[in-house]
Amino acid sequence: MATDVVMPQMGESIAEGTIVRWMKKVGDAIDRDEPLFEISTDKVDAEIPSPAAGVISEIRVKEGETVPVNSIVAVIGPASATASPPAATADKDAAASAAKAAPAASADMKAPESTEPPVESAKAQEPPKASPQADGASAAAPPPPHYHDRDEPAPAAPASQNAAPAEPSPVAAPPPAQHAASAGQAPATSDGTAARHTGSAEDAIRERSSPLVRKIAKEHNVDIAQIHGTGIAGRVTKDDILGFIGGSASAAPESSAASAKPATAAPAASAGPAGGSVSGAPPVAQVTFKPGANDHVEKMSVMRKRIAEHMVLSKKTSAHVHSVFEVNFGRIAKIREAKKTEFERSGAKLTYMSFIIKAAIDALRAVPIVNASVDGENIVYHRDINVGIAVALDWGLIVPVIKKADEKNLVGLSRAVADLANRARAKQLKPDEVAGGTFTITNPGVFGALFGMPIISQPQVAILGIGNVEKRPVVVDDAIAIRPMAYLTLGYDHRVLDGAVADEFMSIVKKSLENWDPNAV
Amino acid sequence: MPQDYDVIVIGAGTGGYVAAIRAAQLGLKTAVVEKQKALGGTCLLWGCIPTKALLEHAHALKIAQHAKDWGISLGAAAGSGPGGVTIDMTQVQTRKDRVVTGLSKGVEFLFKKNKIDWIKGTARLTGNGGVDVFEGERQTLRARKEIIVATGSTPRGVPGIEIDRQRIITSDEAIGLREVPKTMVIMGSGAVGVEFASIFNRFGSDVTIVELLPRLVPVEDEAVSAELAKSFRKQGITSHTGAKVTSAKAGADGVDVDVQLADGTTKRIQTDYLLVATGRGPVTTGLNAEGVGLQIEKGYIKVDNLFRTNVPGISAVGDVITFGGPGHPQLAHVSSAEGIITAERIAGQESRPINYDHVPGCTYCDPEIGSVGLTEAEAKTRGFDVRVGTFPFGILGRAKMAQETDGFVKIVADKKYDELLGVHMIGPRSTELVAEATVALRLESTVEELIRTIHAHPTFAEAIGEAAHATHGAAIHS
Repeated sequence: MATDVVMPQMGESIAEGTIVRWMKKVGDAIDRDEPLFEISTDKVDAEIPSPAAGVISEIRVKEGETVPVNSIVAVIGPASATASPPAATADKDAAASAAKAAPAASADMKAPESTEPPVESAKAQEPPKASPQADGASAAAPPPPHYHDRDEPAPAAPASQNAAPAEPSPVAAPPPAQHAASAGQAPATSDGTAARHTGSAEDAIRERSSPLVRKIAKEHNVDIAQIHGTGIAGRVTKDDILGFIGGSASAAPESSAASAKPATAAPAASAGPAGGSVSGAPPVAQVTFKPGANDHVEKMSVMRKRIAEHMVLSKKTSAHVHSVFEVNFGRIAKIREAKKTEFERSGAKLTYMSFIIKAAIDALRAVPIVNASVDGENIVYHRDINVGIAVALDWGLIVPVIKKADEKNLVGLSRAVADLANRARAKQLKPDEVAGGTFTITNPGVFGALFGMPIISQPQVAILGIGNVEKRPVVVDDAIAIRPMAYLTLGYDHRVLDGAVADEFMSIVKKSLENWDPNAV
Repeated sequence: MPQDYDVIVIGAGTGGYVAAIRAAQLGLKTAVVEKQKALGGTCLLWGCIPTKALLEHAHALKIAQHAKDWGISLGAAAGSGPGGVTIDMTQVQTRKDRVVTGLSKGVEFLFKKNKIDWIKGTARLTGNGGVDVFEGERQTLRARKEIIVATGSTPRGVPGIEIDRQRIITSDEAIGLREVPKTMVIMGSGAVGVEFASIFNRFGSDVTIVELLPRLVPVEDEAVSAELAKSFRKQGITSHTGAKVTSAKAGADGVDVDVQLADGTTKRIQTDYLLVATGRGPVTTGLNAEGVGLQIEKGYIKVDNLFRTNVPGISAVGDVITFGGPGHPQLAHVSSAEGIITAERIAGQESRPINYDHVPGCTYCDPEIGSVGLTEAEAKTRGFDVRVGTFPFGILGRAKMAQETDGFVKIVADKKYDELLGVHMIGPRSTELVAEATVALRLESTVEELIRTIHAHPTFAEAIGEAAHATHGAAIHS
């Protein structure tokens, strides 16, 4: 019996997803739960496991395409059905072994401390990030029929990654295809999958716009994929992009479509749809910028765009204020040293982060408005304390959430942090694991920052930033002593949190950390 | 009982016959009503085709006149004109007519091939898809889907100058002249005027152009006008710009033309012929356009950007239409593009308005003019931050070989986005070279793209690549 593979619902608010990569091709055998494809959505990039064992009999959605959730993206036939097309059989073994190699590599990964920069092996895991044309906003327009010509070996990928119109400038960054190859995904390149992938992104842009449009897009930092094209086969025309950019439409010279000349009605017809197609993403304020010949231009990934949008949205939404406290970690350091081995025996890692989360939870309980959201003119107090932990990825940033964190003890929190961070880097987070946070902790200190001024993750009202814990000379009882110190910053939304409340919260955090009861570990 | 068709096209000019063929290709039963004895309309019978045939004769004569330069001996029998050669106008007309007839028959063949009925006679709209055709007796036709009016245009005079078609003539008569006039005055220096000036000047006439506006070919870029004026002067053509013909009296052997010159003085010119080339007006005679409620503006049928008139079921294309406002270009290739779009729209296909900024214009004077897009002045008026690049044919190898070194390629671009706004050429093969520029504009190219486009060597087209380089700073070979 054939099993339909659908685009999974990646969280409540997510309506569609982009297939970034197929790990199998038609004719390949697959086990249940074996990774089948990788997707990118508004919130999360994830590997999607196969819902059934069998042989891939059909792949309906190509790499780079965006489809609504629950759309059928592939069909898995019974293992006995040997309807594999001839082309598939040759690479079959190689592909299968590659598929095995990938998870194996992730198993080798050291479980990184959540607060540490991603380890090298995580980097090796990263597939080429090139899903530019498949932004959600463009889903309304049917994609041109030949984004990915499967029969045609793609040209060498690296050069095509460079979206600069004509200038054959050298590509500065390591080309993604090489990246993939070095990650032991040889089959992907040997059968051309990866190369096709990166190549097709550029092809798609090329097919759907014009040199002039690309030039305008570059200068305005506009993603052409977000523009609804009114030209032949959905081609984005000059009028379309000028309409998209908006403000400039009036300032810019008369549209060329027959306006000043005879056909007065023409521009209206062509400008109309373009104007209406400006998608949910508000066009970012335009900064005039012109990449030079030696610049390397790369499209933003879906994740990058989402981060950009969210950060700008948050800055616009909340009245950000930051309050910095200095915390003496001397006591925690001692406790940590004493209990470290004990914790390790039980398979957990006792990090500063675990203590800070715990301290924050206690403070959130004491000052519930910090664990709230703004809903119009209402303040929503959350009973659950769901703590988001910002995890830096090589390809961006993700904030997995420890649900009901207040019900966990230090061991539980440590394990949860390690688990979420690992799975974030392996792209194995489930969508609901990145949703529902009520408070966020971010740790720029791991990179050496003295303190950060973090931006609130909406719709929360506060975010705690942790600076580097380092030994500093401090005054203790009128003497200068050396203590492990760190600056903690609370970024809070002054719409609902006043300085006194925020500082009350921070005082509790500081007090908890500096007066930790060793027996409470 | 009326004869039923899906589409009835009125007029078999380039707009009409192309619309008919496209409609038939798309499975529509189509008829074309044409009152002329042959198919093809103005372009084929009276305009583009015959004049360009004459121009080829002029070009051949030019080569022959310079036979010595080319190392060719023509012998004593060649004649006594300039360069020792003369032209036989009877043979010129015979050959020209053969070309015209051949092409007209070609359209007839295409009608048969596409099962299009040619209904001979004058069409009269009767409303609700009805068309009566009069030629001797009345035929009644009915269009189930749409009527396309493509009745075209005809030479138009100016008030006070009576066209007698003997001595005061239009292009319709000029193409049929079987003598080389000693002198000719041409009113108007649009495409028609300067083409006939080139033809008859080459044939041996003493040609004088009288243009009301301050420069020749007023629709072209100013640099092109200046270059043409220079070249005409070199060739011995007299141009009076900013001048006006105040009266013209035709006698048996010639015309007395009074011209008020730019400096205010008047001048009487006695000439064999006065060619009135001041423009063309719409043809709607007998159509009953207003009777069926068609909106008419200054004699033209008003249409929207997909060529629909205000009356459902009636479209119009070509020289007879107006969008309202400034003039609609009266060009064969525009008419046929409009005909295709209209036929496709009637057949239910997706249609898009034409961008009239991307219509190439070709003027077959000597040197030829090919242009597309905005002139430098237009671009500035529209607020572009303009930069231009020019490359003269004079230093181009291929042009030297052909001994055609007048003229240049000029590119008009927008500095901000490097957008190609217009390309203006005057010189050898310009009417062909403009095709590259037209594609570039159509594809919304940048000047950079033209620079990176490899132009074959040695060709005239290299001038385009060089002009693109010049736009960005400096041409390679200048």
